[in-house]
Amino acid sequence: MTTFSRFIALVMAICMLPGSAIAEDKVAPPVSERYKAAIEEVPNFQRHVIPLFGRLGCNGRACHGSFQGQGGFRLSLFGYDFAADHAAITGGETPRVNRKSPAESLIVLKPTLAEPHKGGKRLPADGWEYNLLMAWLKSGAVGAKEKDAAFASLDVEPKEIVFGKLGDTAKLRVIAKWADGTREDVTPLCRFRSNDESVSTVNAAGVVTAVGKGDTAVVAFYDNGIVPIAVLLPVSDKVGAKYPAVPTPTKLDELVVAKLRKLGIVSSDVCTDAEFLRRVSLDLAGTLPAADEVQAFLASEAPDKRTKKIEELLARPTYAAWWATKLSDFTGNSERTGPLGGEQALNREKAGQWYDWVYRRVRDNEPYDKLIAGIALGIGRRTDQSFADYCGEMISYFRKDKPADFAARDTMPYFWTRRTLGKTEEQALAFAHAFLGVNLQCAQCHKHPYDQWTKQDFDQFTAFFSGVRYGLGPRAETVAMKKGTPLEKLDEDSGDYKRKFVNLLASGTVLPFKELHIPASQKPRPGMKPGVKVGGRVLTPKLLGGEEVVNATYSDARQPVVDWMRDAENPYFARAFVNRVWANYFGTGLIDPPDDLNLANPPTNPALLDYLADGFVASKFDMKWLHRTITKSRTYQLSWRPNDTNRLDERNLSRSVLRRLPAEVVYDAVVLATASDDERKKLDADPVGLRSVGRSSGYAGTRQTDAYAVMLLGKPPRTTNCDCERSNEPALLQTVFLRNDPEVFKLLDRPEGWLKQVTKAKVTDADKLIQQAYLRTLSRLPDEREAGAAKKYISDAKDTQSGLRDLLWALINTKEFIVNR
Amino acid sequence: MIPQRFCDGITRRDFVRVGALGAGFGLADFLRLSHAADAKPAKATSAVVVYLGGGPSHIDTFDPKPDAPAEFRGEFKPIDTNVPGVQICEHLPKLAKIADTYAIVRGVSHSIAAHELGTEYLSAGNRPIPSLVFPGYGAVVSKELAGDKELPHFVAIPSTAQKAGYLGVRYAPLQTSDVPKPGIPFSVRGITLGNGLTVTEFEKRNNLLSELDTTFKGVAADSKLIDGMDKFAQQAFDMIRSSKARAAFDVSSEKPAIAKPFGEGRFGMSCLLALRLIAAGVRFVTVSFSGWDTHANNFKSLQGGLLPQLDTGLSALLAGLKEQGLLDTTTVYVVGEFGRTPKVNEKAGRDHWPRAMTALLAGGGVKGGQVVGATDAKGAGPAAEAFTPDQLAASFYHTLGIDHRKEYHTATGRPVMIVREGSVIRPLFG
Repeated sequence: MTTFSRFIALVMAICMLPGSAIAEDKVAPPVSERYKAAIEEVPNFQRHVIPLFGRLGCNGRACHGSFQGQGGFRLSLFGYDFAADHAAITGGETPRVNRKSPAESLIVLKPTLAEPHKGGKRLPADGWEYNLLMAWLKSGAVGAKEKDAAFASLDVEPKEIVFGKLGDTAKLRVIAKWADGTREDVTPLCRFRSNDESVSTVNAAGVVTAVGKGDTAVVAFYDNGIVPIAVLLPVSDKVGAKYPAVPTPTKLDELVVAKLRKLGIVSSDVCTDAEFLRRVSLDLAGTLPAADEVQAFLASEAPDKRTKKIEELLARPTYAAWWATKLSDFTGNSERTGPLGGEQALNREKAGQWYDWVYRRVRDNEPYDKLIAGIALGIGRRTDQSFADYCGEMISYFRKDKPADFAARDTMPYFWTRRTLGKTEEQALAFAHAFLGVNLQCAQCHKHPYDQWTKQDFDQFTAFFSGVRYGLGPRAETVAMKKGTPLEKLDEDSGDYKRKFVNLLASGTVLPFKELHIPASQKPRPGMKPGVKVGGRVLTPKLLGGEEVVNATYSDARQPVVDWMRDAENPYFARAFVNRVWANYFGTGLIDPPDDLNLANPPTNPALLDYLADGFVASKFDMKWLHRTITKSRTYQLSWRPNDTNRLDERNLSRSVLRRLPAEVVYDAVVLATASDDERKKLDADPVGLRSVGRSSGYAGTRQTDAYAVMLLGKPPRTTNCDCERSNEPALLQTVFLRNDPEVFKLLDRPEGWLKQVTKAKVTDADKLIQQAYLRTLSRLPDEREAGAAKKYISDAKDTQSGLRDLLWALINTKEFIVNR
Repeated sequence: MIPQRFCDGITRRDFVRVGALGAGFGLADFLRLSHAADAKPAKATSAVVVYLGGGPSHIDTFDPKPDAPAEFRGEFKPIDTNVPGVQICEHLPKLAKIADTYAIVRGVSHSIAAHELGTEYLSAGNRPIPSLVFPGYGAVVSKELAGDKELPHFVAIPSTAQKAGYLGVRYAPLQTSDVPKPGIPFSVRGITLGNGLTVTEFEKRNNLLSELDTTFKGVAADSKLIDGMDKFAQQAFDMIRSSKARAAFDVSSEKPAIAKPFGEGRFGMSCLLALRLIAAGVRFVTVSFSGWDTHANNFKSLQGGLLPQLDTGLSALLAGLKEQGLLDTTTVYVVGEFGRTPKVNEKAGRDHWPRAMTALLAGGGVKGGQVVGATDAKGAGPAAEAFTPDQLAASFYHTLGIDHRKEYHTATGRPVMIVREGSVIRPLFG
C-alpha cells in the first residue's frame, strides 16, 4: 500500500465506505424531501438538528458560534459539542425552546424574523427546514443520547468532476453512515466549500459550477467527516489523445504529465544550462555559482553534466549550511525563545549549537528520521549522569578556550528548553507543526473546522508530553554549587546574575544549569484508568489519527510518538518533510501552505506526493535521495518561459515559476557577486558563521551586518509555529535597500571586493569585464544588446572603474538577480 | 491560489461574499455596531511614539509622591506645572511649562517584569503570546493610513522593537540606524544618496538599470511577483530621486530658530528629525530613547542626563508640532515597558515594577492639561481603576481613527483584533 493510499485510508476510515457504489435501497432519502410537508418523524439532534444549524449559519464564528456567543446565546463553533449545544438551546435564563407551545420557541421565531434577530432572516417559514425544527420541538426537543449510533463515515459521489466548459454544473450527493449500518442522504445538511472559487463554486445544495479553467477541490463537511472532491476544467483542447508528446524521463515526470494531460496544459521546454546551474545552486545550496564555475559548466560537453553538478553540489558545505538553515526554520531554532533566567545570556550561543548540531548531520547525511529523533527525544542529563557531571558537561560547551563539541552530542535538547514551550499544549502544538506539518492550534479550543481533530484528540495527544519541562535541578546540589561563588546571593532573574553566570562559565567554574525533566510513561495502577492526569482528568495518550497508547512502559514518555513517526506507515512524518522540501524547489508545496496537512487541503498531485514520500521512506529517509530525485527530474529543469497553455499555471508544475530568493540567499548573493576570487573561495569552503545562510539563529535584530537587510527581506524570527514566518514577498524597502543602502555600497567597494581586485590587477578590457560582471551576478553571458549597452555606458563614464561599478550596481538591482528563474 | 483559510473554516472570499449578500456580518461589525455611540471623528493623521526603553521610574517623572516616606519618595521634589494642581518632577521644568499640551495617564498597570516581553507588550498593545507575533503601532498605522508615495511610511529613529509581525515585511520600518548630529548633514540609509552621488548620476545609473532589466519583460501581467517588483522599483526611484525625503531627513537644514530648542543631545536631535518627518508627511515615526533601567544610581542617572534630555527633546517636539499647527493632527505617545519599584533599593536604584507606570498622550484630539488615573500613596499600584497597556494602545489608535477592534487575519488564518483586550480610555478625550 502506498503512503498516499494509507493516508487516504486513514481519512476514509472515517469518511468512506468500502466500495463506491451506493446501494440505494438502504439509503434514507434527504431531509429536504422527507420534511417537505409537516410530518411526525422525529429528527435526531446530532444527525439532523445541529447540522441544520450549521447549514443555516447559526453556529458560525460571526454568529452564535462566537466564543462570546451572540445576544446571550452561544453554540459550539460549527457544532461539535452536542451536549453543550443542547443545554444552550433548551436551558439557561432564556431557553430557546418552548416545549409547551413549540411554535413560540425562539429558535424558530428569531430566524424567521417573527421576533427581531440581529443575524437577519435565516429560516423560511414554510420550508423543510422549518418543518424539521418544528418536528423536533414537538417531540420534546431531546438532545443526543448515549445509545445513538456513532457517526462512521461520509461518502460523496462523484469522486472527481471533470467539466467540459465554463458554466457546466454537477451535483454532489453525500451519504453518511453510522456505526449501526444505517445510511442517509445528508446532502442538504452538509457544509460545502470550494478551495478556489475562481475555478469552481459550490452552493449550499451541493451544486458545483465551473467558473474558471484549472483545477481545485470542493470539500463536503458533515459531522466529523470531511471529503475533498477534485474538480477540473481543462485549460485547452489539448487533452487526452490530443496531448502532444512530452518526454517523461523519470517517474516523477510521468506523474506530473499525467495530470497535465487531463488539464490540457503543455509543459514548457527544458531550461538552458546557464539557467539550470543558477537555479539548482541557489535552491540546493543557497549559493550563487561562481563566474568560473558558470563558464566551465557552459563549456562542458558531458551529456550528464547536470546530474554530475547535482552530486557535486550535494557534497558541498554550502548544501549543508542551507539545509541546516531550513531545518532550523522548521524546528524553530531562535535565540529569542531560549529560556529566561540565569542562563538567558547563553541563548545566542545555544542557537549556534543547535544549528551546528543539525549542520553536522546534514553534512554527514544522517537519515532524516534519526536526525529528528535526536531532537524530538532530546535530553539534558543522561540517566547515568550525576547532576554535577551534567553541569560539567554543559559548561564544557561554553568554554572560551576549546569548547567541547556540542554537535557530537547524541541528542539536541534545545527544542524542548524554549520558553515558548513552557506548557504541555505548547509542546504538542510545536511538535505537530515541526515534525508532522499539522496545525493543531484550532483543536486546542474547539473542533478543527477543516480537519478531523477534536478537542479530545488534542488533549490526548498532549498527554505524551505531560511533565516534560525545563526547570531547576536538584535543589540541594544547586545551592551547594552556587555557594562561595558571586551567584550565591543573587536573584537568578537579575541582570547581575546573568552577567556573572556567563563570566564564571568562561573561567570554567561549574555552575548549576537547569535541566530538562522527562517523565517516564506511566504504568496504570491496578484498578485505575490508564493515562496521564491532566487538570484533574485522566487522559490516555493517543496518537493523531491512531491508537491509544496504554500499558506501555517507556523510560521516556515521548518515545511512543517518535516510534510512531518513524514507522513506515506513518501518514504525516515523511510527507511533511517531502512537501516542505518540494516547496523549497518549486515555491509552493504539493500541499500548500506546506505546513498545513489537513483533510480539506488535498495535494495538487496526490500520486506524486505519494511516490516521493514512499521513495523517501524506502530510501531509509535519505535526504540526498530526495534532493536528487527532485532536481534530476525534467519537471524541475523546465524553463520559466511560458507557452499559451501554461501562462497562468502556478500549481501544476508545467514550467518553472519565478520566485524571489530567500532573505539570506539574497544577502549572500550580493556578497558573493561583489567578492574577489580569493574571498569567494573562503566563503565557499566555510560558510558557517561567514555567510548569511550559515548564521545560526532566526532573525533576532542583532548587530550582525546583515541584520537589517534580512529583516526587510523576510528572514523568519522562528518564534511561532508557522512556516509563513519566512516571507519571500517583495517590498518597497527591499528595493530601496538594494538601490541605495550604504551596506550595499560598502560591499561593492570593500577592500577584498572584486572591483578592487580588477583595479589592482589593472584589467581594462571592457568586454571581458562586462562578461565577468554578468557571470558573477546573473550567472550567464550578456547577449549582444546588453553587452553593447554596458559597453557604451562604460565608455561614457569618467573611467572604466566607475563605469564598471555602476554596471555591477545595475546588475545586482535587476529583477533577474533577486529572482530564481 | 488557494484562498486563505481561517481557523473558523471561513475563507477570505466567504467574507466578501457574505458581506455582499448582506446575509451576515463579522464579529468586528457586530462590535462596531454595538459600540456605535463611541464613534467620534478622528483628528490625527500621523503619530510619534517616543519609547523610553528600560522602563522609567514613574515616581521620578510624572507621578511624584512628595508625601510618601523618604525611601519611596526618592531624592527629587515635585514642581508645579502650568496646569493648576498638576505636579511633575522638578527636573522636567520645560515640560512643566507646557503641561496643558499633554495628558498624563497614571496608574497604568500590568504584570510583565522582564524587558523583552514587556517591550513587546508595550510596542503592540497586546500581551505577548507564543503562537503569534503582533504587529507594532507603526506597522498597523502604515497599513491603515495611506501615506505619501515619495516618503517611507514608518521610520524608526534609530531603531525599534516594534515588529511588522503577522502583517508581513511590507510594513517593516525604515530604521535610520543612527541619529543626526547638530549641524552635520544627516545621512539615512536608503534615502541619502551615497558617496556624493548626485541626482543626475543616480538617474543615469538607473537608466542603465532599466536598459538591462528586461529579461522578464512581458510576463509582468501574469506574474504578481514581477508586477510587484516593478511597482516597488518605480516607488523606490521616486523616493530616492525626490528631494522631499532627503530634505525631510536633513536636520542640518532646519532653521536655527526651530532647531535650537531641541538642543544638541541624541534624543533632542532625534525629536527634531521626528518633527521634520511628520511635517513632511511621514505617517509614523518612533524615537527610541533607552537607558531608563536604573537599578543603581537612579537619581544620578536621571538628574545627570536622562531627565534633562527628555525634558528638552520632548518639550521641543510638542512645542514644535504646536507652532507648526501639527499637534491637532499628530498624536504623540510616550511610554516605556514598565515603571520602577516605589521603594529605593540599597544601590540608590529602583528595580522593575510593572504594577504601576505612567504614559503621556498628546495631540490628535487628546485633551491636554489633565491627569487620568492615579496610583496609591506610595506609587505601588493603581489607586482605583487600573489602566492597561491594551487600553493605551486602543486609545492611541482611536486618535488616528483606527478601530482597534478591527480584525486582521494571520497567515494561518486566525482572526485577530488589532488590540485584543483593549478599550478606549474615554476621559482622555474630555
